[in-house]
Amino acid sequence: MGKGKPFLEVLASAIHEDFRFPFLELFAFLYALGTFALANFTVGIYSQAGTNDAVAYSVTSSLIGGSLIIFIILVFKNVAYGLGSDLEKGIIQTYFSYPLKRRAILTAKLLSAIGVSLLLFLGIQISAFYILAPDIVLPQFGTIVLTYAANLSYPLFISAIMLLLTMKLRRGGIGLVIGIVLYVAMNIVSSLAFFVALATKSAIGLQIISVISPSYALQYYYGGLASVPEFSSVPWTPTLSETMLYVGGSYVIVAALFILGYVYFSRRLNL
Amino acid sequence: MSLIVAEDLAKSYGSVVAVDSLNLSLDEGSVTGLIGPNGAGKTTTIKMILGLLKPDRGVVKVFGQDPWDNPAIRSMIGVVYEKAFFPAHQKTLEYLQRVCRVFGVSESRAMEVLELVNLQEASDRQIKALSAGMLQKFAIAHALVHSPKLVVADEMTANLDPQARSELLDLVLQLHKDEKATFLLSSHILPELSRVCDSVAIMNRGKVWAFGKLSELYEKYAVGIIRVSTDSPYELEAEIKKLNYVKEVNSDIRGISVTVVDGKEDELYEDVLKLAKRIRAKIFGIETGSASMQELYRLAIRQAISGKERK
Repeated sequence: MGKGKPFLEVLASAIHEDFRFPFLELFAFLYALGTFALANFTVGIYSQAGTNDAVAYSVTSSLIGGSLIIFIILVFKNVAYGLGSDLEKGIIQTYFSYPLKRRAILTAKLLSAIGVSLLLFLGIQISAFYILAPDIVLPQFGTIVLTYAANLSYPLFISAIMLLLTMKLRRGGIGLVIGIVLYVAMNIVSSLAFFVALATKSAIGLQIISVISPSYALQYYYGGLASVPEFSSVPWTPTLSETMLYVGGSYVIVAALFILGYVYFSRRLNL
Repeated sequence: MSLIVAEDLAKSYGSVVAVDSLNLSLDEGSVTGLIGPNGAGKTTTIKMILGLLKPDRGVVKVFGQDPWDNPAIRSMIGVVYEKAFFPAHQKTLEYLQRVCRVFGVSESRAMEVLELVNLQEASDRQIKALSAGMLQKFAIAHALVHSPKLVVADEMTANLDPQARSELLDLVLQLHKDEKATFLLSSHILPELSRVCDSVAIMNRGKVWAFGKLSELYEKYAVGIIRVSTDSPYELEAEIKKLNYVKEVNSDIRGISVTVVDGKEDELYEDVLKLAKRIRAKIFGIETGSASMQELYRLAIRQAISGKERK
Protein backbone atom coordinates (compact mmCIF):
# COMPACT_ATOMS: atom_id res chain seq x y z
CA MET A 1 0.00 0.00 0.00
CA GLY A 2 1.44 3.37 -0.98
CA LYS A 3 0.99 6.64 0.78
CA GLY A 4 -2.43 8.05 0.10
CA LYS A 5 -3.67 11.60 0.12
CA PRO A 6 -6.70 11.31 2.36
CA PHE A 7 -6.97 15.02 3.16
CA LEU A 8 -7.03 16.11 -0.48
CA GLU A 9 -9.49 13.36 -1.38
CA VAL A 10 -11.89 14.27 1.44
CA LEU A 11 -11.58 17.92 0.41
CA ALA A 12 -12.29 17.02 -3.21
CA SER A 13 -15.24 14.90 -2.16
CA ALA A 14 -16.62 17.72 0.02
CA ILE A 15 -16.25 20.24 -2.83
CA HIS A 16 -17.93 17.78 -5.18
CA GLU A 17 -20.95 17.61 -2.87
CA ASP A 18 -21.09 21.28 -1.79
CA PHE A 19 -20.71 22.66 -5.31
CA ARG A 20 -22.40 20.01 -7.42
CA PHE A 21 -24.39 21.16 -10.41
CA PRO A 22 -26.02 23.67 -10.43
CA PHE A 23 -24.76 25.26 -7.18
CA LEU A 24 -21.33 26.37 -8.45
CA GLU A 25 -22.77 27.73 -11.71
CA LEU A 26 -25.72 29.41 -9.97
CA PHE A 27 -23.68 31.07 -7.25
CA ALA A 28 -20.92 32.17 -9.62
CA PHE A 29 -23.64 33.83 -11.71
CA LEU A 30 -25.22 35.40 -8.62
CA TYR A 31 -21.83 36.70 -7.43
CA ALA A 32 -21.24 38.30 -10.80
CA LEU A 33 -24.77 39.70 -10.80
CA GLY A 34 -24.35 40.96 -7.24
CA THR A 35 -21.02 42.58 -7.99
CA PHE A 36 -21.73 44.15 -11.37
CA ALA A 37 -25.50 44.70 -11.41
CA LEU A 38 -26.62 44.94 -7.80
CA ALA A 39 -23.79 46.94 -6.26
CA ASN A 40 -25.22 48.88 -3.34
CA PHE A 41 -24.03 52.41 -4.01
CA THR A 42 -26.18 53.85 -1.21
CA VAL A 43 -23.52 52.73 1.27
CA GLY A 44 -20.94 54.98 -0.27
CA ILE A 45 -23.20 57.95 -0.91
CA TYR A 46 -23.48 58.76 2.77
CA SER A 47 -19.80 58.58 3.63
CA GLN A 48 -17.70 61.65 3.30
CA ALA A 49 -15.82 60.62 0.22
CA GLY A 50 -13.29 63.41 0.37
CA THR A 51 -9.99 61.57 0.65
CA ASN A 52 -8.62 58.82 -1.56
CA ASP A 53 -9.03 56.14 1.07
CA ALA A 54 -12.62 57.29 1.70
CA VAL A 55 -13.30 56.94 -2.02
CA ALA A 56 -11.76 53.46 -1.96
CA TYR A 57 -13.91 52.57 1.08
CA SER A 58 -17.06 53.88 -0.65
CA VAL A 59 -16.41 51.97 -3.85
CA THR A 60 -15.45 48.77 -1.99
CA SER A 61 -18.52 48.94 0.26
CA SER A 62 -20.70 49.51 -2.78
CA LEU A 63 -19.24 46.49 -4.57
CA ILE A 64 -19.49 44.26 -1.51
CA GLY A 65 -23.12 45.17 -0.81
CA GLY A 66 -24.92 42.90 -3.26
CA SER A 67 -22.46 40.01 -3.19
CA LEU A 68 -22.11 39.70 0.56
CA ILE A 69 -25.63 38.37 0.99
CA ILE A 70 -24.94 35.77 -1.71
CA PHE A 71 -21.73 34.78 0.08
CA ILE A 72 -23.69 34.45 3.32
CA ILE A 73 -26.37 32.27 1.69
CA LEU A 74 -23.73 30.00 0.15
CA VAL A 75 -21.76 29.63 3.40
CA PHE A 76 -24.95 29.04 5.40
CA LYS A 77 -26.01 26.36 2.92
CA ASN A 78 -22.66 24.62 3.03
CA VAL A 79 -22.19 24.76 6.81
CA ALA A 80 -25.73 24.05 7.96
CA TYR A 81 -27.02 21.88 5.14
CA GLY A 82 -23.73 20.35 3.95
CA LEU A 83 -21.96 19.56 7.22
CA GLY A 84 -25.29 19.13 9.05
CA SER A 85 -26.51 16.51 6.62
CA ASP A 86 -23.09 14.76 6.66
CA LEU A 87 -23.35 14.50 10.45
CA GLU A 88 -27.01 13.53 10.42
CA LYS A 89 -26.76 10.90 7.70
CA GLY A 90 -23.43 9.44 8.76
CA ILE A 91 -21.12 10.50 5.93
CA ILE A 92 -18.77 11.91 8.57
CA GLN A 93 -18.62 8.37 10.01
CA THR A 94 -17.54 7.17 6.59
CA TYR A 95 -14.80 9.82 6.54
CA PHE A 96 -13.82 8.68 10.03
CA SER A 97 -12.99 5.27 8.60
CA TYR A 98 -10.13 6.87 6.66
CA PRO A 99 -6.63 7.27 8.14
CA LEU A 100 -7.11 10.94 8.80
CA LYS A 101 -7.17 13.01 11.99
CA ARG A 102 -10.51 14.48 12.95
CA ARG A 103 -9.25 18.05 12.67
CA ALA A 104 -8.12 17.35 9.11
CA ILE A 105 -11.64 16.15 8.21
CA LEU A 106 -13.15 19.34 9.67
CA THR A 107 -10.56 21.46 7.87
CA ALA A 108 -11.47 19.78 4.57
CA LYS A 109 -15.17 20.39 5.20
CA LEU A 110 -14.62 24.04 6.19
CA LEU A 111 -12.27 24.72 3.30
CA SER A 112 -14.99 23.48 1.00
CA ALA A 113 -17.87 25.20 2.81
CA ILE A 114 -16.25 28.57 3.54
CA GLY A 115 -12.87 28.65 1.78
CA VAL A 116 -14.13 27.96 -1.72
CA SER A 117 -17.09 30.31 -1.23
CA LEU A 118 -14.71 33.03 -0.08
CA LEU A 119 -12.42 32.37 -3.02
CA LEU A 120 -15.34 32.72 -5.44
CA PHE A 121 -16.51 35.89 -3.71
CA LEU A 122 -13.10 37.55 -3.63
CA GLY A 123 -12.18 36.35 -7.11
CA ILE A 124 -15.18 37.98 -8.71
CA GLN A 125 -14.88 41.09 -6.52
CA ILE A 126 -11.21 41.62 -7.38
CA SER A 127 -11.99 41.13 -11.07
CA ALA A 128 -14.72 43.74 -10.74
CA PHE A 129 -12.29 46.15 -9.16
CA TYR A 130 -9.87 45.84 -12.05
CA ILE A 131 -12.70 46.38 -14.50
CA LEU A 132 -14.64 49.14 -12.70
CA ALA A 133 -12.00 51.01 -10.70
CA PRO A 134 -8.50 49.97 -11.77
CA ASP A 135 -6.90 53.17 -10.47
CA ILE A 136 -8.07 52.50 -6.91
CA VAL A 137 -6.92 48.92 -6.35
CA LEU A 138 -3.17 49.28 -5.89
CA PRO A 139 -2.86 52.74 -4.28
CA GLN A 140 -5.59 51.99 -1.76
CA PHE A 141 -4.94 48.31 -1.28
CA GLY A 142 -4.83 48.60 2.56
CA THR A 143 -8.22 50.34 2.73
CA ILE A 144 -9.75 47.77 0.41
CA VAL A 145 -8.42 44.87 2.49
CA LEU A 146 -9.63 46.54 5.70
CA THR A 147 -13.10 47.06 4.22
CA TYR A 148 -13.34 43.43 3.14
CA ALA A 149 -12.05 42.24 6.51
CA ALA A 150 -14.57 44.41 8.36
CA ASN A 151 -17.48 43.25 6.22
CA LEU A 152 -16.63 39.55 6.27
CA SER A 153 -16.12 39.31 10.01
CA TYR A 154 -19.78 39.14 11.00
CA PRO A 155 -20.76 36.50 8.40
CA LEU A 156 -17.82 34.41 9.62
CA PHE A 157 -18.95 34.96 13.22
CA ILE A 158 -22.43 33.64 12.37
CA SER A 159 -20.86 30.75 10.42
CA ALA A 160 -18.85 29.76 13.49
CA ILE A 161 -22.00 29.87 15.66
CA MET A 162 -23.80 27.76 13.05
CA LEU A 163 -20.90 25.32 12.97
CA LEU A 164 -21.02 24.87 16.75
CA LEU A 165 -24.81 24.42 16.73
CA THR A 166 -24.68 22.02 13.80
CA MET A 167 -22.07 19.86 15.52
CA LYS A 168 -23.85 19.93 18.87
CA LEU A 169 -27.27 19.10 17.40
CA ARG A 170 -25.88 16.86 14.59
CA ARG A 171 -28.21 18.53 12.10
CA GLY A 172 -28.18 21.82 10.30
CA GLY A 173 -31.79 23.02 10.32
CA ILE A 174 -31.76 24.81 13.68
CA GLY A 175 -28.27 26.20 13.04
CA LEU A 176 -29.50 27.60 9.73
CA VAL A 177 -32.54 29.26 11.32
CA ILE A 178 -30.43 30.77 14.11
CA GLY A 179 -27.86 31.97 11.55
CA ILE A 180 -30.56 33.76 9.56
CA VAL A 181 -32.08 35.19 12.75
CA LEU A 182 -28.66 36.47 13.87
CA TYR A 183 -28.04 38.06 10.50
CA VAL A 184 -31.40 39.83 10.41
CA ALA A 185 -31.17 40.71 14.12
CA MET A 186 -27.87 42.49 13.60
CA ASN A 187 -29.45 44.80 11.03
CA ILE A 188 -32.31 45.60 13.40
CA VAL A 189 -30.10 45.96 16.47
CA SER A 190 -27.61 48.20 14.66
CA SER A 191 -30.44 50.53 13.55
CA LEU A 192 -31.78 50.61 17.10
CA ALA A 193 -28.31 51.30 18.49
CA PHE A 194 -27.92 54.13 16.00
CA PHE A 195 -31.14 55.83 17.09
CA VAL A 196 -30.36 55.19 20.77
CA ALA A 197 -26.98 56.84 20.19
CA LEU A 198 -28.72 59.83 18.57
CA ALA A 199 -31.16 60.14 21.44
CA THR A 200 -28.78 59.54 24.35
CA LYS A 201 -25.60 60.96 22.85
CA SER A 202 -23.90 57.75 23.94
CA ALA A 203 -22.21 55.46 21.41
CA ILE A 204 -21.81 52.50 23.75
CA GLY A 205 -24.39 50.41 21.83
CA LEU A 206 -22.65 51.04 18.53
CA GLN A 207 -19.29 50.18 20.06
CA ILE A 208 -20.59 46.87 21.45
CA ILE A 209 -22.05 45.95 18.08
CA SER A 210 -18.78 46.85 16.39
CA VAL A 211 -16.96 44.24 18.45
CA ILE A 212 -18.65 41.48 16.48
CA SER A 213 -19.55 43.45 13.37
CA PRO A 214 -16.66 45.89 12.82
CA SER A 215 -18.05 47.15 9.52
CA TYR A 216 -20.04 49.60 11.66
CA ALA A 217 -16.84 50.95 13.27
CA LEU A 218 -15.35 51.38 9.81
CA GLN A 219 -18.52 53.06 8.59
CA TYR A 220 -18.37 55.55 11.48
CA TYR A 221 -14.64 56.06 10.95
CA TYR A 222 -15.49 57.27 7.46
CA GLY A 223 -18.24 59.49 8.81
CA GLY A 224 -21.19 57.11 8.71
CA LEU A 225 -24.35 59.08 8.04
CA ALA A 226 -22.78 62.33 9.22
CA SER A 227 -23.33 63.90 5.83
CA VAL A 228 -27.07 63.57 6.37
CA PRO A 229 -27.97 66.65 8.46
CA GLU A 230 -30.56 64.86 10.60
CA PHE A 231 -28.02 62.21 11.56
CA SER A 232 -24.95 64.42 11.92
CA SER A 233 -24.96 64.34 15.70
CA VAL A 234 -24.00 60.67 16.18
CA PRO A 235 -21.40 60.96 18.90
CA TRP A 236 -18.86 58.48 17.60
CA THR A 237 -15.97 58.82 15.22
CA PRO A 238 -13.43 56.11 15.99
CA THR A 239 -9.81 56.62 14.97
CA LEU A 240 -8.20 54.34 12.38
CA SER A 241 -6.28 52.44 15.05
CA GLU A 242 -9.48 51.98 17.07
CA THR A 243 -11.24 50.76 13.95
CA MET A 244 -8.44 48.33 13.25
CA LEU A 245 -8.66 47.17 16.86
CA TYR A 246 -12.37 46.46 16.37
CA VAL A 247 -11.62 44.51 13.19
CA GLY A 248 -8.79 42.58 14.87
CA GLY A 249 -10.88 41.96 17.99
CA SER A 250 -13.77 40.61 15.94
CA TYR A 251 -11.43 38.14 14.23
CA VAL A 252 -10.07 37.05 17.60
CA ILE A 253 -13.67 36.20 18.58
CA VAL A 254 -14.27 34.42 15.25
CA ALA A 255 -11.01 32.48 15.62
CA ALA A 256 -11.90 31.54 19.21
CA LEU A 257 -15.27 30.20 18.08
CA PHE A 258 -13.71 28.15 15.26
CA ILE A 259 -11.05 26.82 17.66
CA LEU A 260 -13.89 25.82 20.00
CA GLY A 261 -15.47 24.05 17.04
CA TYR A 262 -12.22 22.21 16.30
CA VAL A 263 -11.78 21.18 19.93
CA TYR A 264 -15.36 19.92 20.07
CA PHE A 265 -15.05 18.04 16.77
CA SER A 266 -11.68 16.53 17.66
CA ARG A 267 -12.14 15.70 21.33
CA ARG A 268 -15.83 15.61 22.18
CA LEU A 269 -17.88 14.70 19.13
CA ASN A 270 -19.21 11.20 19.66
CA LEU A 271 -20.80 9.68 16.60
CA MET B 1 -2.23 -12.41 18.37
CA SER B 2 -5.18 -10.28 19.53
CA LEU B 3 -6.22 -7.59 17.07
CA ILE B 4 -8.79 -6.06 19.40
CA VAL B 5 -8.50 -5.94 23.17
CA ALA B 6 -11.18 -4.22 25.26
CA GLU B 7 -10.84 -4.11 29.02
CA ASP B 8 -13.45 -2.90 31.49
CA LEU B 9 -15.08 -0.77 28.80
CA ALA B 10 -18.01 1.41 29.85
CA LYS B 11 -20.16 3.98 28.10
CA SER B 12 -23.35 5.72 29.21
CA TYR B 13 -25.71 8.10 27.43
CA GLY B 14 -26.97 10.27 30.27
CA SER B 15 -28.51 7.87 32.78
CA VAL B 16 -28.70 5.01 30.28
CA VAL B 17 -25.82 2.56 30.60
CA ALA B 18 -25.06 1.30 27.08
CA VAL B 19 -21.91 -0.70 27.82
CA ASP B 20 -20.73 -1.74 31.26
CA SER B 21 -17.47 -3.47 32.26
CA LEU B 22 -17.07 -5.07 28.85
CA ASN B 23 -14.08 -7.30 28.17
CA LEU B 24 -13.32 -8.68 24.75
CA SER B 25 -10.34 -10.05 22.88
CA LEU B 26 -10.39 -10.83 19.18
CA ASP B 27 -7.85 -13.21 17.66
CA GLU B 28 -6.30 -12.71 14.25
CA GLY B 29 -7.98 -14.77 11.54
CA SER B 30 -11.22 -15.32 13.46
CA VAL B 31 -14.77 -14.51 12.44
CA THR B 32 -16.37 -13.32 15.66
CA GLY B 33 -20.02 -12.55 16.10
CA LEU B 34 -21.17 -9.94 18.56
CA ILE B 35 -24.69 -11.13 19.24
CA GLY B 36 -27.49 -9.75 21.33
CA PRO B 37 -30.90 -8.12 21.09
CA ASN B 38 -31.45 -4.50 20.06
CA GLY B 39 -30.13 -2.26 22.81
CA ALA B 40 -27.60 -4.84 24.05
CA GLY B 41 -24.72 -2.41 23.46
CA LYS B 42 -23.30 -3.92 20.27
CA THR B 43 -23.22 -0.72 18.22
CA THR B 44 -21.78 1.30 21.11
CA THR B 45 -19.06 -1.34 21.56
CA ILE B 46 -18.24 -1.25 17.86
CA LYS B 47 -18.16 2.54 17.82
CA MET B 48 -15.68 2.54 20.69
CA ILE B 49 -13.57 -0.04 18.87
CA LEU B 50 -13.57 2.20 15.79
CA GLY B 51 -12.75 5.37 17.73
CA LEU B 52 -16.08 7.04 16.99
CA LEU B 53 -17.06 7.09 20.65
CA LYS B 54 -14.81 7.79 23.60
CA PRO B 55 -15.29 5.29 26.44
CA ASP B 56 -16.28 6.69 29.81
CA ARG B 57 -14.05 4.07 31.40
CA GLY B 58 -11.72 1.30 30.37
CA VAL B 59 -9.27 0.73 27.58
CA VAL B 60 -9.70 -0.37 23.99
CA LYS B 61 -6.73 -1.24 21.82
CA VAL B 62 -6.91 -2.09 18.13
CA PHE B 63 -3.63 -3.32 16.65
CA GLY B 64 -2.17 -2.29 20.02
CA GLN B 65 -3.25 1.35 19.61
CA ASP B 66 -6.00 3.53 21.03
CA PRO B 67 -8.37 3.96 18.05
CA TRP B 68 -9.54 7.41 19.21
CA ASP B 69 -6.06 8.93 18.97
CA ASN B 70 -4.51 6.89 16.17
CA PRO B 71 -6.33 7.28 12.87
CA ALA B 72 -3.38 5.63 11.10
CA ILE B 73 -4.62 2.19 12.22
CA ARG B 74 -7.70 2.71 10.05
CA SER B 75 -5.58 1.85 7.04
CA MET B 76 -5.76 -1.72 8.39
CA ILE B 77 -9.49 -1.69 9.18
CA GLY B 78 -12.49 -1.97 6.89
CA VAL B 79 -15.77 -0.71 8.30
CA VAL B 80 -19.35 -1.57 7.31
CA TYR B 81 -22.04 0.35 9.16
CA GLU B 82 -25.65 -0.73 9.64
CA LYS B 83 -26.80 2.14 7.47
CA ALA B 84 -24.20 2.90 4.88
CA PHE B 85 -23.88 6.53 3.81
CA PHE B 86 -21.61 7.92 1.18
CA PRO B 87 -21.57 11.19 -0.75
CA ALA B 88 -24.79 10.60 -2.65
CA HIS B 89 -24.05 12.40 -5.90
CA GLN B 90 -20.84 10.61 -6.76
CA LYS B 91 -20.67 7.58 -9.00
CA THR B 92 -19.81 4.25 -7.41
CA LEU B 93 -16.63 3.55 -9.35
CA GLU B 94 -15.44 7.14 -9.14
CA TYR B 95 -15.97 7.22 -5.40
CA LEU B 96 -14.16 3.92 -4.88
CA GLN B 97 -11.28 5.22 -7.01
CA ARG B 98 -11.16 8.21 -4.69
CA VAL B 99 -11.05 5.81 -1.72
CA CYS B 100 -8.20 3.95 -3.44
CA ARG B 101 -6.29 7.24 -3.53
CA VAL B 102 -7.15 7.85 0.14
CA PHE B 103 -5.46 4.58 1.07
CA GLY B 104 -2.73 4.80 -1.55
CA VAL B 105 -3.72 1.67 -3.48
CA SER B 106 -3.99 1.25 -7.23
CA GLU B 107 -7.21 2.64 -8.70
CA SER B 108 -7.76 -0.66 -10.53
CA ARG B 109 -8.65 -2.11 -7.12
CA ALA B 110 -11.93 -0.13 -7.26
CA MET B 111 -13.28 -2.26 -10.10
CA GLU B 112 -11.94 -5.41 -8.48
CA VAL B 113 -13.94 -4.86 -5.30
CA LEU B 114 -17.04 -3.89 -7.28
CA GLU B 115 -16.74 -7.20 -9.13
CA LEU B 116 -16.20 -8.99 -5.84
CA VAL B 117 -19.62 -7.84 -4.63
CA ASN B 118 -21.25 -8.22 -8.07
CA LEU B 119 -21.79 -4.51 -8.55
CA GLN B 120 -19.69 -4.06 -11.67
CA GLU B 121 -22.79 -3.23 -13.70
CA ALA B 122 -23.58 -0.36 -11.34
CA SER B 123 -20.13 1.17 -11.70
CA ASP B 124 -21.46 4.17 -13.59
CA ARG B 125 -24.42 4.70 -11.31
CA GLN B 126 -24.67 7.47 -8.72
CA ILE B 127 -24.54 6.18 -5.15
CA LYS B 128 -27.96 7.66 -4.41
CA ALA B 129 -29.46 5.49 -7.16
CA LEU B 130 -28.44 2.19 -5.49
CA SER B 131 -31.06 0.03 -3.78
CA ALA B 132 -30.67 -0.79 -0.06
CA GLY B 133 -29.12 -4.18 -0.85
CA MET B 134 -26.79 -2.73 -3.47
CA LEU B 135 -25.77 0.04 -1.10
CA GLN B 136 -24.86 -2.50 1.54
CA LYS B 137 -22.81 -4.45 -0.99
CA PHE B 138 -21.18 -1.18 -2.02
CA ALA B 139 -20.36 -0.55 1.66
CA ILE B 140 -18.60 -3.92 1.76
CA ALA B 141 -16.69 -3.09 -1.42
CA HIS B 142 -15.76 0.26 0.17
CA ALA B 143 -14.53 -1.56 3.29
CA LEU B 144 -12.36 -3.92 1.25
CA VAL B 145 -10.68 -1.44 -1.08
CA HIS B 146 -7.46 -1.41 0.95
CA SER B 147 -7.49 -5.16 1.73
CA PRO B 148 -7.85 -4.58 5.46
CA LYS B 149 -6.57 -7.05 8.02
CA LEU B 150 -9.67 -6.46 10.11
CA VAL B 151 -13.27 -5.94 8.94
CA VAL B 152 -15.75 -4.58 11.46
CA ALA B 153 -19.39 -4.78 10.39
CA ASP B 154 -22.29 -3.51 12.46
CA GLU B 155 -25.66 -5.11 11.67
CA MET B 156 -24.69 -5.14 8.02
CA THR B 157 -27.62 -7.36 7.03
CA ALA B 158 -30.27 -5.66 9.18
CA ASN B 159 -32.09 -3.87 6.38
CA LEU B 160 -31.83 -6.53 3.72
CA ASP B 161 -34.16 -9.15 2.34
CA PRO B 162 -33.32 -12.82 3.03
CA GLN B 163 -31.79 -13.35 -0.42
CA ALA B 164 -29.46 -10.38 -0.07
CA ARG B 165 -28.61 -11.40 3.51
CA SER B 166 -27.66 -14.86 2.39
CA GLU B 167 -25.50 -13.48 -0.44
CA LEU B 168 -23.68 -11.13 1.92
CA LEU B 169 -22.93 -13.92 4.38
CA ASP B 170 -21.59 -16.06 1.55
CA LEU B 171 -19.41 -13.11 0.64
CA VAL B 172 -18.06 -12.89 4.21
CA LEU B 173 -17.14 -16.57 4.09
CA GLN B 174 -15.47 -16.12 0.72
CA LEU B 175 -13.51 -13.10 1.89
CA HIS B 176 -12.41 -14.83 5.04
CA LYS B 177 -11.12 -17.65 2.89
CA ASP B 178 -9.61 -15.57 0.06
CA GLU B 179 -8.42 -12.39 1.76
CA LYS B 180 -7.58 -13.98 5.15
CA ALA B 181 -9.27 -11.08 6.90
CA THR B 182 -10.38 -11.10 10.52
CA PHE B 183 -14.06 -10.22 10.98
CA LEU B 184 -16.05 -8.77 13.83
CA LEU B 185 -19.73 -8.94 12.91
CA SER B 186 -22.55 -7.71 15.08
CA SER B 187 -26.10 -8.89 14.58
CA HIS B 188 -29.36 -9.42 16.39
CA ILE B 189 -30.38 -11.95 13.74
CA LEU B 190 -28.74 -14.90 15.43
CA PRO B 191 -29.20 -17.82 13.01
CA GLU B 192 -27.30 -16.08 10.23
CA LEU B 193 -24.21 -15.61 12.39
CA SER B 194 -24.00 -19.32 13.14
CA ARG B 195 -23.33 -19.76 9.42
CA VAL B 196 -20.20 -17.67 9.39
CA CYS B 197 -18.77 -17.22 12.89
CA ASP B 198 -16.24 -19.43 14.63
CA SER B 199 -16.45 -17.38 17.85
CA VAL B 200 -19.21 -15.40 19.48
CA ALA B 201 -19.53 -12.83 22.20
CA ILE B 202 -23.00 -12.93 23.70
CA MET B 203 -24.10 -9.48 24.80
CA ASN B 204 -27.03 -8.32 26.85
CA ARG B 205 -27.61 -5.08 28.76
CA GLY B 206 -24.18 -3.72 27.92
CA LYS B 207 -22.19 -6.73 29.08
CA VAL B 208 -20.55 -9.72 27.43
CA TRP B 209 -22.17 -12.67 29.19
CA ALA B 210 -20.33 -15.42 27.35
CA PHE B 211 -17.45 -15.37 24.91
CA GLY B 212 -15.51 -18.07 23.15
CA LYS B 213 -15.31 -20.50 20.26
CA LEU B 214 -18.76 -21.50 19.09
CA SER B 215 -17.96 -25.20 19.60
CA GLU B 216 -16.86 -24.53 23.18
CA LEU B 217 -19.96 -22.53 23.94
CA TYR B 218 -22.21 -25.29 22.58
CA GLU B 219 -20.30 -27.77 24.72
CA LYS B 220 -20.67 -25.56 27.76
CA TYR B 221 -24.26 -24.45 27.42
CA ALA B 222 -26.03 -26.88 25.12
CA VAL B 223 -25.25 -30.14 26.96
CA GLY B 224 -28.42 -32.11 27.63
CA ILE B 225 -30.31 -30.52 24.76
CA ILE B 226 -31.85 -32.78 22.18
CA ARG B 227 -33.12 -31.34 18.95
CA VAL B 228 -36.04 -33.17 17.36
CA SER B 229 -36.90 -32.25 13.78
CA THR B 230 -40.53 -33.00 12.97
CA ASP B 231 -43.47 -31.93 10.82
CA SER B 232 -45.72 -31.52 13.90
CA PRO B 233 -43.61 -29.63 16.45
CA TYR B 234 -46.43 -28.13 18.47
CA GLU B 235 -48.41 -31.38 18.85
CA LEU B 236 -45.29 -33.34 19.77
CA GLU B 237 -44.19 -30.64 22.21
CA ALA B 238 -47.43 -31.08 24.15
CA GLU B 239 -46.75 -34.81 24.47
CA ILE B 240 -43.08 -34.46 25.40
CA LYS B 241 -43.93 -31.98 28.15
CA LYS B 242 -45.76 -34.78 29.94
CA LEU B 243 -42.55 -36.80 30.40
CA ASN B 244 -41.37 -36.42 33.98
CA TYR B 245 -37.62 -36.30 33.22
CA VAL B 246 -37.97 -33.41 30.77
CA LYS B 247 -36.73 -30.10 32.18
CA GLU B 248 -37.64 -27.77 29.33
CA VAL B 249 -39.22 -27.90 25.88
CA ASN B 250 -39.16 -25.19 23.23
CA SER B 251 -40.57 -25.59 19.78
CA ASP B 252 -40.39 -23.62 16.59
CA ILE B 253 -41.76 -24.26 13.13
CA ARG B 254 -39.01 -26.76 12.25
CA GLY B 255 -38.68 -28.75 15.43
CA ILE B 256 -38.36 -29.02 19.17
CA SER B 257 -35.48 -28.49 21.58
CA VAL B 258 -35.74 -30.64 24.67
CA THR B 259 -33.63 -30.38 27.81
CA VAL B 260 -33.63 -33.50 29.96
CA VAL B 261 -32.09 -34.45 33.28
CA ASP B 262 -28.62 -35.99 33.00
CA GLY B 263 -28.52 -39.57 31.70
CA LYS B 264 -32.02 -39.56 30.21
CA GLU B 265 -31.06 -38.78 26.61
CA ASP B 266 -31.47 -42.37 25.37
CA GLU B 267 -34.80 -42.70 27.12
CA LEU B 268 -36.08 -39.55 25.46
CA TYR B 269 -34.96 -40.88 22.07
CA GLU B 270 -37.15 -43.97 22.49
CA ASP B 271 -40.07 -42.03 23.97
CA VAL B 272 -40.07 -39.47 21.17
CA LEU B 273 -40.34 -42.22 18.57
CA LYS B 274 -43.24 -43.79 20.47
CA LEU B 275 -45.03 -40.47 20.92
CA ALA B 276 -44.56 -39.55 17.28
CA LYS B 277 -46.03 -42.86 16.22
CA ARG B 278 -49.03 -42.32 18.47
CA ILE B 279 -49.85 -38.84 17.16
CA ARG B 280 -48.75 -39.72 13.62
CA ALA B 281 -45.99 -37.13 13.46
CA LYS B 282 -43.07 -37.55 11.09
CA ILE B 283 -39.59 -37.44 12.64
CA PHE B 284 -36.81 -36.21 10.36
CA GLY B 285 -33.98 -36.41 12.87
CA ILE B 286 -32.94 -36.42 16.52
CA GLU B 287 -29.65 -34.80 17.48
CA THR B 288 -28.08 -34.63 20.91
CA GLY B 289 -25.96 -31.69 22.10
CA SER B 290 -27.47 -29.51 19.43
CA ALA B 291 -29.12 -26.13 19.80
CA SER B 292 -29.95 -23.19 17.63
CA MET B 293 -28.06 -19.93 18.10
CA GLN B 294 -31.13 -18.49 19.81
CA GLU B 295 -31.13 -21.33 22.32
CA LEU B 296 -27.43 -20.94 22.90
CA TYR B 297 -27.98 -17.24 23.51
CA ARG B 298 -30.86 -17.90 25.90
CA LEU B 299 -28.97 -20.59 27.81
CA ALA B 300 -25.81 -18.53 28.14
CA ILE B 301 -27.70 -15.53 29.46
CA ARG B 302 -29.75 -17.66 31.84
CA GLN B 303 -26.71 -19.48 33.18
CA ALA B 304 -24.80 -16.23 33.61
CA ILE B 305 -27.69 -14.66 35.51
CA SER B 306 -28.17 -17.70 37.77
CA GLY B 307 -24.40 -17.85 38.39
CA LYS B 308 -24.45 -14.20 39.36
CA GLU B 309 -27.40 -14.75 41.67
CA ARG B 310 -25.62 -17.67 43.37
CA LYS B 311 -22.67 -15.39 44.06
